Amino acid sequence: MSDGEYDYLIKFLALGDSGVGKTSFLYQYTDGKFNNKFITTVGIDFRERRVIYNSTGPDGTTGRGQKIHLQLWDTAGQERFRSLTTAFFRDAMGFLLLFDLTNEQSFLNVRNWMSQLQIHAYCENPDVVLCGNKCDLSDQRAVSQDEARQLAEKYGITYFETSAASGQNVSEAVDVLLDLIMKRMERCVDKSWIPDGTVRANGPAGADLSDGSDRSKCAC
Amino acid sequence: MAAEKEIWQKIGEGFVQEYYNQFDNTNRMGLANLYSPNACLTWEGSPFQGREAIANKLVSLPFKRIKHIITEQDSQPTIDSCILIMVFGQLQADEDPPMAFHQVFMLKSQNGGWSCTNDVFRLGVHNIPV
Repeated sequence: MSDGEYDYLIKFLALGDSGVGKTSFLYQYTDGKFNNKFITTVGIDFRERRVIYNSTGPDGTTGRGQKIHLQLWDTAGQERFRSLTTAFFRDAMGFLLLFDLTNEQSFLNVRNWMSQLQIHAYCENPDVVLCGNKCDLSDQRAVSQDEARQLAEKYGITYFETSAASGQNVSEAVDVLLDLIMKRMERCVDKSWIPDGTVRANGPAGADLSDGSDRSKCAC
Repeated sequence: MAAEKEIWQKIGEGFVQEYYNQFDNTNRMGLANLYSPNACLTWEGSPFQGREAIANKLVSLPFKRIKHIITEQDSQPTIDSCILIMVFGQLQADEDPPMAFHQVFMLKSQNGGWSCTNDVFRLGVHNIPV
């Protein structure tokens, strides 16, 4: 398959405190493995995977499968050295917000990450899936499923308990996020809200997306 | 050509060794002593001036452990008798994946010793839009 053969290029960004397992989570999703011995990810800031998205109509019929090229961006700990700037958030279409179920502080910081998102993401209510990671470490659990659910409900976002180690709910979380993005795209008639670079359409299926003429609507 | 190292190279290497040893193995507050009173630090684009502000910044970095590995370093004498040092290496904070970094120091001879007057730090992370 040549690199250009996809209908949409969609960028997701994994966020959350250092050590919650963002890199392992993405690695589990793209490679189906848990890598607890990093050799190095220098220079590798994202992972990629192709998926087929089947939209379902209201009558339950399945439409033509769309070829999606998913890019999953990882902060890889750089947030310890510098604040993540608008430039970093700018190109992401959906967000995987992770915390560590065995680390209460990482859960408390979910609020901070949500406000960062509201400031820096392309819009004030971007699509976010909240993941309580490391659910395999049940004997070390410091955050209950109930309190995590309540927080997710407060923000109106989906919550999953995931394990990058066992793979539990990893694909499910990404699938739900992709579904939210595709539904959002279908909802938008003129699609002019889509930030530059977050969705790249290839071929006739999405040719209207690459037409930037809608931007002339800007009132300034 | 296995010539004897120039004096500025020896001073530069000594400083770099001491700097990262203090950074990695102490509480980082001691790093203040390596800077001149009015030194300037630019950390990921943010400016800090003065020994105290610099030490506070370095102490407040949010990780428990850090390790720097120097890949290469280069030193030059300047026309006003200072030493310019460029360091190129990798660092690892806690259990994060290693990241590349670049750091540039200017050393000035003051009161019979060398102290750092300028320090510029950047991670070697390239978020290139694709």
